[in-house]
Amino acid sequence: MPDPIKFKYSRFFLFIAVLLFMVYGCKKDPIVPMEEEEEEEEVVSPVVFNPLEVPYDLLSTYKFFTGNMSEQMPSEGVLPYEPITSLFTDYAHKSRFIWMPDSVSATYVADHKVLDFPDGTVLIKTFFYNNVQPDDETKIIETRLIFKRNGNWEFANYVWNEEQTEATFDLDGSYVDLSWSENSTTRSTTYRIPSDVECLNCHKNGNEAIPIGPKPQNLNKDLLYTDGTRNQLQKWSEKGLLSGSVPGIIDTVVDWEDTSNPIQDRVRAYLDMNCSHCHADQKYCDYRAPRFAWSETIEDANLGICVEPADFPLPQLTHIVSRGNILRSAMHYRMNSTDETVRMPLLGRTLVHQESVQMIEEWINTLEPNCN
Amino acid sequence: MKLKLLLLFFGVLTLNLQAQDSCDDALSINDGIHTVQQIDGEILEFLTVCPPNFFFGSRAEWYLITTDQDTTVTITTELPQNVGQDTRVSIYSGECGMFTLLCITANEDNGISNLSTAEFQAQAGMEYYIMFDNYWASTGFDFEVTFSEPLEYAVSFTGEAVSCNGCGRIVVDMDGDHLDDLVGISNPVQVLKQLPGGGFSSTSVVVPDPDHPASWSTCAGDLDNNGYTDLVYAGGGGATIMMANEDGSAYTEVSPEIFIFSQRSNVIDINNDGLLDVFVCHDVDANVFFINDGMGGFTTNQGGLGNTGGNYGSIWSDMDNDGDLDMIIAKCGFNNINEYHVNNGDGTYSELGNLYNMDDPTQTWSVAVGDYDNDGDMDVVVGASSGTHRVLRNDITTFVDVTAGSGFDLFFGTDIEWVTKDFNNDGFLDVRGAGNFMIGNGDFTWTLNPTTLTNGPIGDLNHDGFLDIVNGNTIFYNEGNDNNWIKVHPVGTVSNIDGIGARIKITTPSGMQIRDIRSGEGFGQMNSLTANFGIGEDTQVSEVTVYWPSGIVNTIKNPEINQGLVVVEEETSTSVFENDVNSSFNVFPNPVTAETLTLSSSEDLIGSNCIIYNSDGKEELSLKLTNDSINVSQMAAGVYTLIIELKDGTMLRKQFIKAE
Repeated sequence: MPDPIKFKYSRFFLFIAVLLFMVYGCKKDPIVPMEEEEEEEEVVSPVVFNPLEVPYDLLSTYKFFTGNMSEQMPSEGVLPYEPITSLFTDYAHKSRFIWMPDSVSATYVADHKVLDFPDGTVLIKTFFYNNVQPDDETKIIETRLIFKRNGNWEFANYVWNEEQTEATFDLDGSYVDLSWSENSTTRSTTYRIPSDVECLNCHKNGNEAIPIGPKPQNLNKDLLYTDGTRNQLQKWSEKGLLSGSVPGIIDTVVDWEDTSNPIQDRVRAYLDMNCSHCHADQKYCDYRAPRFAWSETIEDANLGICVEPADFPLPQLTHIVSRGNILRSAMHYRMNSTDETVRMPLLGRTLVHQESVQMIEEWINTLEPNCN
Repeated sequence: MKLKLLLLFFGVLTLNLQAQDSCDDALSINDGIHTVQQIDGEILEFLTVCPPNFFFGSRAEWYLITTDQDTTVTITTELPQNVGQDTRVSIYSGECGMFTLLCITANEDNGISNLSTAEFQAQAGMEYYIMFDNYWASTGFDFEVTFSEPLEYAVSFTGEAVSCNGCGRIVVDMDGDHLDDLVGISNPVQVLKQLPGGGFSSTSVVVPDPDHPASWSTCAGDLDNNGYTDLVYAGGGGATIMMANEDGSAYTEVSPEIFIFSQRSNVIDINNDGLLDVFVCHDVDANVFFINDGMGGFTTNQGGLGNTGGNYGSIWSDMDNDGDLDMIIAKCGFNNINEYHVNNGDGTYSELGNLYNMDDPTQTWSVAVGDYDNDGDMDVVVGASSGTHRVLRNDITTFVDVTAGSGFDLFFGTDIEWVTKDFNNDGFLDVRGAGNFMIGNGDFTWTLNPTTLTNGPIGDLNHDGFLDIVNGNTIFYNEGNDNNWIKVHPVGTVSNIDGIGARIKITTPSGMQIRDIRSGEGFGQMNSLTANFGIGEDTQVSEVTVYWPSGIVNTIKNPEINQGLVVVEEETSTSVFENDVNSSFNVFPNPVTAETLTLSSSEDLIGSNCIIYNSDGKEELSLKLTNDSINVSQMAAGVYTLIIELKDGTMLRKQFIKAE
């Protein structure tokens, strides 16, 4: 689900409302063969991105947004996008956009691999909360950029001011105390704005910075744009962001929140987006057994089912996932913990994601006991 | 209806009156198969937790076993009729009651299934309680008791619970009395101070709310040389230093403004200026260290001691025997190779892992550094967090892989904590990791000694010379053996007061042993700063030499064994003697409660210079002897070191205690 920002500005609200209405993508979804589109009227993107000068000191310099920047209305050429299943970051809402220079485009590599993006590509992700106490206001915390220059991805992060009028470059990391209400629950945390080394902790392959989300498996769903519903990959092609051939059938993750999907697929989708950036070859935690990428969790062992952990937070946790037994499953214990030496994921989470823990419980209980 | 209720009531009552339903009414059993109908009896309040079990259910069943000769007792629920069930068992000795049951062992899962098998060595005539609790299920099951020939384990422990919040991370002497204390690092900080006669007194000090918790690691040391130990908390966002005030009654917080995804932390004098500094491993960036300015402040440094992330376990020791401290970093994660930082002697370090064969790709969170063959240099056991272990013999110019045949090649347990100590005091270093003891044979071979203890801080909490281990708020006392021992407590004067970084060498008829004083070994805990030496059947230590970080060397000859030896750093002397076999030097009474301490010696003491140091290494009294007695009436109770310089330059040394 896209994240609604509650604003008094009606134009933005309309835009979000349009976004809200969407059709869920599903596994092995065939993409409608590409049609020759009528050439849209060429409007020059106002975005400012000089590879010799970025990152700019101020977010506004890029002109990614039109009007009041806090409304996050994308400028011409800046396209909103959304993964089918998204990363949990202490219940923060997120809006995501992509921009790339004229006359370049990304190409398809594989269903499960990040698209091959051209130099100048900028991925933009804004983190915000609604009903922030004491004044019940929406508060944008930060806008993270990852951009490609000379063949390498680089990070930039912009921290929003109190007035919500501007965001300033800061990759040193900082904390924001927050308390907010949602669905009649009030939560508080000390929100961590990451430093560059923390960005790299998750966004890496070997020691090289990479984006995580924009893989065909995550993008292959319909999204409602201001001008109508489109499959995101198709829209990207139409907009010239994606060129070359894209397979008609893509192994696509499911929306973990959509309970009409099989529970193990929902679990696999959640673990892919929340865990596989570390639990994969050449990543931060490649020395531990689990392999949580969607493409790898077709194997039960990669999900940790009946696999003994190498490191025991508690000796009774006999397996990463113990079939039918939550209390013996390290995955459940770690996802349900806020202790920073125990919790998983290690970074980007200080609160327990109650809904996903509930799903993991439900899933483990569906597995035929037991591992021995 | 009334009748039914009454019947129900009777039924419940009958169940509760079953003999095995409380500790006090534990059912005496023998070998054979026994049946637990249902786990519905009482569980004791404040029952000592028996690792690896961490929690109890709400109900328990109790049995009692007594054998008339020493016996190996095995309790198992691994029986065909129990397939699919999940049980757990704990074994206790002692008396039923709060804090009075001692943990012998426990078992959660026997490695085959969720059923349990526990084995223990029963002494003739002793009572042992067998307790099953319903953490997993209340349903009944059978269990079998078998008796067999007694076994000799190299080390064994008995657990005793203490009342402490946040214990289980730090064992260290907090107040300079050379007895290890147990520290709870929640807020308030609780110190269970070991009393000279045994037992503890508890004090709690409310500390400032720390910016960073001691989640990933903790270490300790007297950073301001005031006689009271300061604490380091290393958390996921940075490090906090808790500085103890002049009498340990309050702490002030120092939390330098720098992000650190902390792992192992150490208190160590990095720039060798006599002031202890703080080093913190960084998981995702260059390591961070705080240089002590001696005025209550620290200068933050990043870089120069490990410049890339993946740093998990730093350990400081003089690896190349050149008199300064080097550092090994256990590293983990993709492409993270262990590092070896060699001290260039001028305050700079060179990373020479590749040159010295220390550039190990083992996925490890800590390495155990000690002289495993007692040849006078520090060897390394690289304990795997996943994968296989590696044993490296120090040949000074390189490290030679001697894993094959060591026992570590056949030991597949993995862990994040690897620490070496001599737990059985046989004079050979053992290695603790993966819940087991690898008992050292002194020749790069080890024998597995299984235990159920989990990782925890190590120190001597009953001053018996044998190292104990804390798990949570349970102290596991080492049951010890007949081996002799000596504990060396260095007190720096030019160097830091804790003697951190000092090398201690002892010589016995069997040869020599070395220890380096370290704050921060293994991964997360803080162990005692005392140098504990086991000397096996040797009855004499001919020499204890302390090589101080300052370069000063002090030697004590023929100290008494089976007790602690305080060695104060003395700039002017290179050799002092205590209890020299040819000397009749002695002091009495000792402990002294009277005003006067009397000296006796075959040497003429009159006219000799006499200095008395307190246990902080501060000069308490200095005089020229005019007779054979010293007035000690003004001195506070404590441990003192008396040194007499004879007219021919010979030094006599004696430790004495001033009692209240």
